[in-house]
Amino acid sequence: MTAQTGLGAVAVLLLGIAAYVSLFASPPDAFQGEYVRIMYAHVPNAWVAYLAFAITFAASVLYLWKRRPAYDHLAHSATELGVLFTGLALLTGSIWGRPVWGTWWTWDARLVTTAMLFLIYTTALLVRGLSDDPLRGARLAAVIGIVGFLDVPIIHYSVVWFRTLHQPASIAPGSLKIAPPMLLALMLSLLAFTVLFMYLLRLRTSLARLEAGGEMR
Amino acid sequence: MNGFLRAAAVARKDLRVEWRGRQTITATGMVALLMILLLGFVVGSEPARAAAILWVAMGFAAVLGIPRVTQGEVDQQALEILLLYPGSREHLFWGKCAALTVMLSALLVALLVLLGVLFGVDVWDHGGALVGVGVLGIVGLSVIGTLLAALVLHVRGRELLMPLLLLPLALPVVLGCVRLTEAILTGTAAGLWPAVLVSFDVVSVLVCPILFEVVMDEV
Repeated sequence: MTAQTGLGAVAVLLLGIAAYVSLFASPPDAFQGEYVRIMYAHVPNAWVAYLAFAITFAASVLYLWKRRPAYDHLAHSATELGVLFTGLALLTGSIWGRPVWGTWWTWDARLVTTAMLFLIYTTALLVRGLSDDPLRGARLAAVIGIVGFLDVPIIHYSVVWFRTLHQPASIAPGSLKIAPPMLLALMLSLLAFTVLFMYLLRLRTSLARLEAGGEMR
Repeated sequence: MNGFLRAAAVARKDLRVEWRGRQTITATGMVALLMILLLGFVVGSEPARAAAILWVAMGFAAVLGIPRVTQGEVDQQALEILLLYPGSREHLFWGKCAALTVMLSALLVALLVLLGVLFGVDVWDHGGALVGVGVLGIVGLSVIGTLLAALVLHVRGRELLMPLLLLPLALPVVLGCVRLTEAILTGTAAGLWPAVLVSFDVVSVLVCPILFEVVMDEV
């Protein structure tokens, strides 16, 4: 329990430092001005979302192989957090896109792939919840966690090529040239969000374990 | 009895049941027809739109048709008996998958003829290529569809979950078939799309039968 709280304290501390560096200590962008600061919240959200789905995949494979409930608790928790951070990534991306690209949404491959991920993993949570038996729900969610993750690269490249054959990408969000102080802010944010994610994942996993055991502490 | 014969027996049974009732193919065919009429009217029936409208209609028809693959067994309480037969359940998977491929391919041929009439596209000269590309997509759709049909079997609200699962997961099939159908109709280069469809098929064929056995496990 102390390790858990310690991890949470580190997460809060890192988030504070990252917020200070990204909001005050880093310079505004030459083209985007102050709007570039949204990046420090957006990119870590997206990174954590992908990390969560990778963990879901690994935990799902392990669960179907070993059938230990602990792996299922991990997969369930990672899926939930992944859906949350995917939603936040889409939201912050939209907020960033509006002033910088002039539109809330563009049919860029990364956006469409992320939206598809959001749908697939939300449905995985639905399937788990709507199953007539928790054990079956765990199995079915693991199956979706595996198929969904293996499908991601194919979905991504099909979406890329679907658009690029017709028109070149009008907006290239990756073409930002990052100055060292901005890179520092981004790296700090990535680290802070990763530690926050680890903290939430541990918390959620132990909650899942308690729920499964029906224990009260 | 070897695996191929077992799978063939399952496929033959499914197709025979379907042939006697013709409910699934009629219902999915009507939905596809409705989609094509609706989209053709709303979006416009220029030949350039034909490919996209065809495959959106196929996608929605598949969403409706695929749960029927296992629904029939549940209605008749035949699934338990089918699962009790000795031997690998993979054969059951391949049998159902083959029956689904045949049904969706038949639907595709009918829709291509319809497209030739309604959209004035030249499906007659390129019939072989169009069906070939379609079947390449349909194989992937059927493989992942058979897994999903088994997956939603014991879940409440399975009619709602099927589109949510199938359409995002099978997005590469729809996109690939749209672009390849366009390429054939306009005579342009196919690009990397055959590779997309083939890699989707290969990944599905390798993974889905294994997961099907997991899904069909008794609790």
